[in-house]
Amino acid sequence: MFNRCRHRGSAVCRDERGHTDQFCCPYHGWVYGNDGALQGIPQADGYPPTLDKSALGLMHVPRVATYRGLIFASLSPHGESLEERLCHVRKYVDHWCDRSPIGTLTLSRGIHRFSYPGNWKLQMDNGVDGYHGNYVHESFLKVVERAGETSVSDVTALRRTGYVRGLSHGDGLIDRPYGGMAGQFDYHNPTLTEYHGLLQQAYGPERAATILGQQNVFLFPNLFLFESHVRVIKPLTVDHTVVEMRPVMLEGVPHDLNTARLRTHERFFGPAGMGAPDDVEMFVNVQSGLKARAVDWMILSRGLHREVRNEDGELVGASTDEAPQRAAYREWRRLMCVDPPGERFPWA
Amino acid sequence: MTREEAESLLFREARLLDERRFDEWLSMFTDDCLYWIPTVDGDPEHEVSLVYDDIARMKERVYRLLETKAYAQMPPSRTQHNISNVEVLDGPDEPSARVVSNLMLVELRAGGDGQVGTGRLRLLAARCQYLFVNGPDWRIREKKLILIDRDLPHHNLSFIL
Repeated sequence: MFNRCRHRGSAVCRDERGHTDQFCCPYHGWVYGNDGALQGIPQADGYPPTLDKSALGLMHVPRVATYRGLIFASLSPHGESLEERLCHVRKYVDHWCDRSPIGTLTLSRGIHRFSYPGNWKLQMDNGVDGYHGNYVHESFLKVVERAGETSVSDVTALRRTGYVRGLSHGDGLIDRPYGGMAGQFDYHNPTLTEYHGLLQQAYGPERAATILGQQNVFLFPNLFLFESHVRVIKPLTVDHTVVEMRPVMLEGVPHDLNTARLRTHERFFGPAGMGAPDDVEMFVNVQSGLKARAVDWMILSRGLHREVRNEDGELVGASTDEAPQRAAYREWRRLMCVDPPGERFPWA
Repeated sequence: MTREEAESLLFREARLLDERRFDEWLSMFTDDCLYWIPTVDGDPEHEVSLVYDDIARMKERVYRLLETKAYAQMPPSRTQHNISNVEVLDGPDEPSARVVSNLMLVELRAGGDGQVGTGRLRLLAARCQYLFVNGPDWRIREKKLILIDRDLPHHNLSFIL
């Protein structure tokens, strides 16, 4: 529902989360049920008795649909269904949900919130960028090497394996095989072996191995499904962006595993983490550098010469290539241009 | 612990952080310590924290700041920790002491005119809760900072608060 009283437009709910039966507008006391129906108007004799209260409920978002517990809303009554929208990315959403052996994730462990003085697309681009990790995060890699958990050379080698995929609708992902201790988020999980066993029991060894890989899944324009968290980009102005990271907890696993996942997430992510702030520093570096109008273009062609279209229509490149960024920027261009250069690329 | 002792310890910690003497800062803590900056005033097992460090992770932070290319700290934050409202909640002769105080932290990353995101003074405010334990000297077993804006977006908290 839209958070807007029908009378004078005041927001009727100012809490981020909680439970309530009613929303009472603080301005003139109009009361709505939690289904949005207008239940009461103070001093109702100020309106004629013919007033149709049933037409004055809170306005509903035109379309809401869910997939595996993720709720999507559309502000347009027209357009593709959620099923059509998710087409190519759906199986990767499934992989992500199935990180829980019972297929259920929860996002109930609070939120890391970042802000940065830069454009939202810098975060969009970075989240599916498999190229920067060895450079921007050298500092973090040295930290984990020093902790004796892995080596910089093992991590940098792992980051050269696997693929990136550019999908329809601007979606895309990084898709790397399971990397053991060289994978970034497995440290300090004493119950890891038990967890792997649970996944193999639930899905069989082959699918379990797929699920355990590193997949950073991007749903254009602003939703990421990461191993450790859900990330939502909120563009506030052209050069001011807020990013929200909600840690993902797995249902059906030992409690200690989720606690360890939370601690491991905090080590890298969040405004005080030892990884993510270095990414954000790159966003503001780019925002600064692009003020220099020496050339109009950035280079997004990495891997263009070696990417292939597979039988599912995915554009597949090596894991440091820029196929997902190209997919995202093509969709962005298509949506932003009054006269788009061609139909949706390349699935039209 | 007397209030004078508490103030002396808190002021020393503030000075070590502001002078980037991080190894000496580490030596003020016990080996079983907790350094915690929550996003909510709640359960650290169930809500994500900005910082939830044991001594090993604190040492990682110091190593990262002093010896690696931590781009979010290039240039490094200049900080000024201002401590006030110090109260000792336990009696002066107890072997441990809960100390509460307020922190007003001024932070700046210097930068050129064309740089985005640097060159601005930032102000952070927090309630501080310490647990000191007495041995050969007083050490910090717990340091918890409850930021006023703990649940709002932050740009960069990659320095030590």
